[in-house]
Amino acid sequence: MLANVFTKSLRDRTLSMLIGSISLGIMLWFGMVVYRDVDIGFYYENLPPAILDLMGIPATGDVAGIAFGAMYNLMGAFTLAGLAISMGAYAIAGEESDGTFGLLLGNPLSRQGVLISKAASLLVMTAFGTLVLWGFGLVVPGILDVDMSGIDVTALMLALFFNALVYGFLALGLATFTGNRSLGSGVAVAVMLIGYLGASLLPLTENLGDWARVFPWYYFSGSNPVVNGTDWGHITVMAGMIVAFFGLAFVGLIRRDLREKSVDRTIFDRLRENPKTQKVMEKIAGSARVSRISTKTASEFQGLLVIAGSIMFYLGLLMPIFYTFIPEEFTELVASFPDALIAMIGGADMGTAAGFLQAEIFSITGPVTILVVTIVMGARALAAEEERHTMGLLLGNPITRSHLVVEKSVAMVVYAVIIGLATFLGTWLGSLIVGLDVSGSNLAATSGLLTLMGLAFGGLALAVGAATGRSRVASGVSTGVALLAYFMFSFFPLSETFAPWAQLSPFTLYLGSNPLVNGMALVDGVILAAVFVTLVAVSVPLFSRRDLRG
Amino acid sequence: MSEQPAILTETLTKHYGEVKALVDLDLEVRMGEVFGFLGPNGAGKTTMIRTILDLIHPTSGRASILGLDSREDAVEIRRHVGYLPSDLSMYPNLTGRDMITYFSNLRGGVDKAYVDDLAERLQADLAKKVGDLSSGNRQKVGLILTFMSRPQLLIMDEPSTGLDPLMQREFQMMMREVAVEGRSVFLSSHTLSEVQRVADRVGIIRNARLVDVEFVDDLRSKAIRTVELQFDGPVEADVFAAVPGVRDVEVASHHATMSFDGKMDTLLRTATEHYTLVDVNTQEADLEEIFLEYYREGATV
Repeated sequence: MLANVFTKSLRDRTLSMLIGSISLGIMLWFGMVVYRDVDIGFYYENLPPAILDLMGIPATGDVAGIAFGAMYNLMGAFTLAGLAISMGAYAIAGEESDGTFGLLLGNPLSRQGVLISKAASLLVMTAFGTLVLWGFGLVVPGILDVDMSGIDVTALMLALFFNALVYGFLALGLATFTGNRSLGSGVAVAVMLIGYLGASLLPLTENLGDWARVFPWYYFSGSNPVVNGTDWGHITVMAGMIVAFFGLAFVGLIRRDLREKSVDRTIFDRLRENPKTQKVMEKIAGSARVSRISTKTASEFQGLLVIAGSIMFYLGLLMPIFYTFIPEEFTELVASFPDALIAMIGGADMGTAAGFLQAEIFSITGPVTILVVTIVMGARALAAEEERHTMGLLLGNPITRSHLVVEKSVAMVVYAVIIGLATFLGTWLGSLIVGLDVSGSNLAATSGLLTLMGLAFGGLALAVGAATGRSRVASGVSTGVALLAYFMFSFFPLSETFAPWAQLSPFTLYLGSNPLVNGMALVDGVILAAVFVTLVAVSVPLFSRRDLRG
Repeated sequence: MSEQPAILTETLTKHYGEVKALVDLDLEVRMGEVFGFLGPNGAGKTTMIRTILDLIHPTSGRASILGLDSREDAVEIRRHVGYLPSDLSMYPNLTGRDMITYFSNLRGGVDKAYVDDLAERLQADLAKKVGDLSSGNRQKVGLILTFMSRPQLLIMDEPSTGLDPLMQREFQMMMREVAVEGRSVFLSSHTLSEVQRVADRVGIIRNARLVDVEFVDDLRSKAIRTVELQFDGPVEADVFAAVPGVRDVEVASHHATMSFDGKMDTLLRTATEHYTLVDVNTQEADLEEIFLEYYREGATV
């Protein structure tokens, strides 16, 4: 057994797995603290079991059920699966493009041996993350003295584990079969997100419910293991998928030529090489792209923009249409939900069209999408030039450090605005098509506030990156603050003790005024913009006083 | 601007916490010269370069480039300086041509014909993505970026990494041409042979301190060489032993071998006065020896 390939792969990933699972555990703690303060007797008196089931709330449970539903069922599953995807996609294909796979095979190791070691480390690392979550799931309720009856933590953990492995091995299989790492991770993330939406939304409809089985996510959440215990049939299906994806990787790796150290070729590169399109593309992908720092920076993230922009546009387009499929009884029922439950689905009143859009687009998906873009751009803006050792070359040119900060920020502003526009256009068109009763100007206002909130967190990432020169620290801190801010906005108002603090959250500035109903909250928008501008301004001295690396 | 020294540092010092990366460096690089900056790995060469380019800030002391203060006028300095970092990293997704366009835009434009000329001399492939190039070919793109704006001062940190011998020669010619035009080259290196071929003067740095600055010619005459002389008939050892700088003469029939640290001119004149010289072979390994002496810890010079 290639003990050192195995252990090295584990070592590379332990930190991110620890950070991911511990922050989830802390959020579980938070969730339970907040829900303990709230009267949740309502659920058990007024809601039919079927609905409780759908929300992941055990029929006999208490605080624990809601907290588990909110934290582990959704965020826990995404986090574990996301980490598994990144590990699986990198395993072989990443070593190839880094040029280290050849180095590895310079030793007396077989390809298959390396693959098996990598797969084993993926398995063990996912198990490790699951165990940390499990530990929190057992310890936190004990400390807080929360009633755990009717909750099957073990079954949930087993499902979480297998679910994460499905996507991790899908990424491993595709990336290893093709030698293309971004293909592997891209497809796996897409399958996961589409699957989550499909498996959660289709059962709400009258006729399409059975189609949910098409999606892998169904085998994780469909049986609602936290309430119903382990569904071994579903576990078997997931295990089967994992084995099949591993087989794909195995066959692919044996058959194909290994890649040398290389950079991915984009569609622009192909068009640029084609004689027919060469002249035009040379302008677009060549000279225009490198005309200044901001356009060059923007071009580095064009893939991210295309994905984020299309997600927001198409979801915006689909959700209003989907709303019309939902039976009226359901929306009426949701309208009677108590605040605590509504908070769990993003603080929106699902009974109205605006509320539905807020829940499905603006409260979680929109912020996550735009924050990924702005935080990644902000964190990498300055720090990545240092980490890639291009800062010296770049600043060898006659430009000031403050000019660099401004140019990088301009690229971030442009992208945030484009995503805001895509969100607005998608939801607006979708609403027009089905004649939904939502005001276009309110949609524009909400999208605008979304953009500004994204920029506020992007500015934070920029400032931390400027001060530390480390993009991981910058994105980690900003993501942490964003999670906390979301928490403050959605859960703090439920508790009298915490409620005043909710006002400090950028999420409150964004959605607190309910802009989908009330239109633009000018003051909130100005504050968000001011936060962004201040953070950019602060970045300049933070960056200028430092000894740069790279 | 030409009256000003290209680089002038006064007690330039850089500490990283307890670590002293650069101590009291006083150095002057003149206009119109190629200055070699020699030292072993980790001696402080890169720290010095990054300090005078304002990428890192000195703990004490100051530096001026072309008469401009390295901290106050950093941007104006970079307008007149071409900089090639060591272990060159570029944006792997850009082609060589893109890199040149990008940096030319950041500099407010460069002479395109000159860029083409440089690319041709270095046989650089500018159509490929930088990430797909071998290290030598990537280095060529870096050299074009450094030369293309015809800067007053070129600061290059280990520039010939990965270049094949032919390209190294072309590159050395390019550096000499810069000096002939009255501009300056500051060349950091840890290999003597490169510096020796192209530099007018060398500075030697060891353990964060400047050990010595010398004209290359003086160094060369100081160097102890092994000289082998071949004649068309038998020779006598005494003839050579009389020449200043000659030691350890060994003679075997037509053949004389000796250690020598004097003027080559004197030795050859003596040899040809007495005999018919057929072949000369000198080994410069001993020049390397001098540098190894400089490099060694605690060595006295």
